[in-house]
Amino acid sequence: MKGSEQKKNTEVTQTKKQAKMQDSRSVSRRNFMKAAGVGAGALIGLPRDADAFDLEEYFQDHFTELSPEEIERTIERLERKYSKKYGKAVTVDTTGPNDDVLFGYGLDISRCIGCRRCVYGCVEENNQSRDPQIHWIRVLEFDNDEVIRNINFDEGDPFYDHEEAPAPGKSYLPIACQQCENPECVKACPTTATWQEPDGIVVIDYDWCIGCRYCIAACPYGARHFNWTEPEIPADEMNPNTHYLGNRPRPHGVVEKCTWCIQRTRHGRYPACVEACPVGARKFGNLLDPDSEIRYLMEHKRTFVLKAEIDTKPKFFYFYG
Amino acid sequence: MLARGSKPRNAPPRRRRPRWIAVGIVLLATPLLGSGKWARPENDDLHYPSRPLGPDAEATLLPPPPIDDEYFPCGDCHEGEPADPERRELDEHDYIELKHGDLWCLDCHDTMERDLLHLSDASPVKMEESWRLCTRCHAKKIPDWRAGVHGKRTGNWRGAKEYRTCVVCHDPHSPLFKPLQPKPPPIPAAPFNPSAGAASEEVSHEGL
Repeated sequence: MKGSEQKKNTEVTQTKKQAKMQDSRSVSRRNFMKAAGVGAGALIGLPRDADAFDLEEYFQDHFTELSPEEIERTIERLERKYSKKYGKAVTVDTTGPNDDVLFGYGLDISRCIGCRRCVYGCVEENNQSRDPQIHWIRVLEFDNDEVIRNINFDEGDPFYDHEEAPAPGKSYLPIACQQCENPECVKACPTTATWQEPDGIVVIDYDWCIGCRYCIAACPYGARHFNWTEPEIPADEMNPNTHYLGNRPRPHGVVEKCTWCIQRTRHGRYPACVEACPVGARKFGNLLDPDSEIRYLMEHKRTFVLKAEIDTKPKFFYFYG
Repeated sequence: MLARGSKPRNAPPRRRRPRWIAVGIVLLATPLLGSGKWARPENDDLHYPSRPLGPDAEATLLPPPPIDDEYFPCGDCHEGEPADPERRELDEHDYIELKHGDLWCLDCHDTMERDLLHLSDASPVKMEESWRLCTRCHAKKIPDWRAGVHGKRTGNWRGAKEYRTCVVCHDPHSPLFKPLQPKPPPIPAAPFNPSAGAASEEVSHEGL
């Protein structure tokens, strides 16, 4: 794959940004405070790798402004921390986007049977908290009589519980982050902790999120979720293949959301929900590739996006197969 | 009243279309026919033997599920026995629920070679290549399937993919996808569920 090339691209971007930063302020307030803090820590004899309070973590810069060396140090620190916590070798990936890729997603709602296999496939892949429970995907159930006229979200029931799905007379609409081209959540964030990557994925720097939850209020799709307490993931179920902007374990007090399995898709793999779906209703690919399955379905099928009227321009297309 | 085909008396004389128009049309159409744009495609999937069904070189076609040893090969029981072409309730094979249009066993299973299937033109098809038979009625699904839009794909969106043929997902005797037991519903958030505790995730404001 083009992993090394992607990394190189990221590094180039990082270096440019770093150079720009250094031009504008040779000794910034943040750098000064960082140096002072680390110095003070050394003076009073704080261990550098203390778990309880990590000075380096506290003074860590925004992910897009870190130099390659700083990224390397940060990743090393995080891997050490997670590996110790979960008792296995955890890797944190920072693979950047490819220039020729803009991701798109398709969901065939004429096939979805509401079995929720995607929900739990996602939870396992993306290290979502089991208690309190966080689900990035919610499957809404509608009455066929109602949904045939209009999809009214107020009538969708995510808590349905049947012996068998699909239940007679019901249809289903799974909903998660729509990876909008014009994301309201990004505009709402006061700290730029969330942004849209060049390949279209809206990501969060969990170390930069202050937990104000403005983005949750701004998202028209209910796709963002907050860690009200320390998330709990059983060590044996924790997925050790993580990405810095994706499924690495989140701390208490930050917002999280679907990243189209950035840790998989940046390496060419399908997202976990696509692989979990037993009826093959979920499609994923590159919108810039005319031969991709997502382009085929956009050109040959009837597609629609949710809440098109509010101009968020989702890259998540529902279609009738 | 005018006789059919006759011209009104005062009508202007019809001008005969010059023949070169017809000649021009033929000349223009010839390269199109030659290029294959209007020509019937050769070796398409509707004809047997056809080119491999696999959509591209990188694709891995997952094998169909194995047939129960108890019933296959069919010839073990049916060898030498003349097939009764009459539609009827079978004494054997009561485990098969036949819900596939108006089809009956011998519409797909071969009357002579009992371990094989057959197409409507009686050409034989191996059990492992049952998709050749499916495409005879469900030809419209092929382009979608080839593009990866019908059916499940796993593996890589860029790179090697895994495909499934029809019978991996659909029971050929009863092809409608069977209902599954859904995974547990999400735990309702605190405002709707007092037992969930204060720490439950907030959804009350996620007004969709």
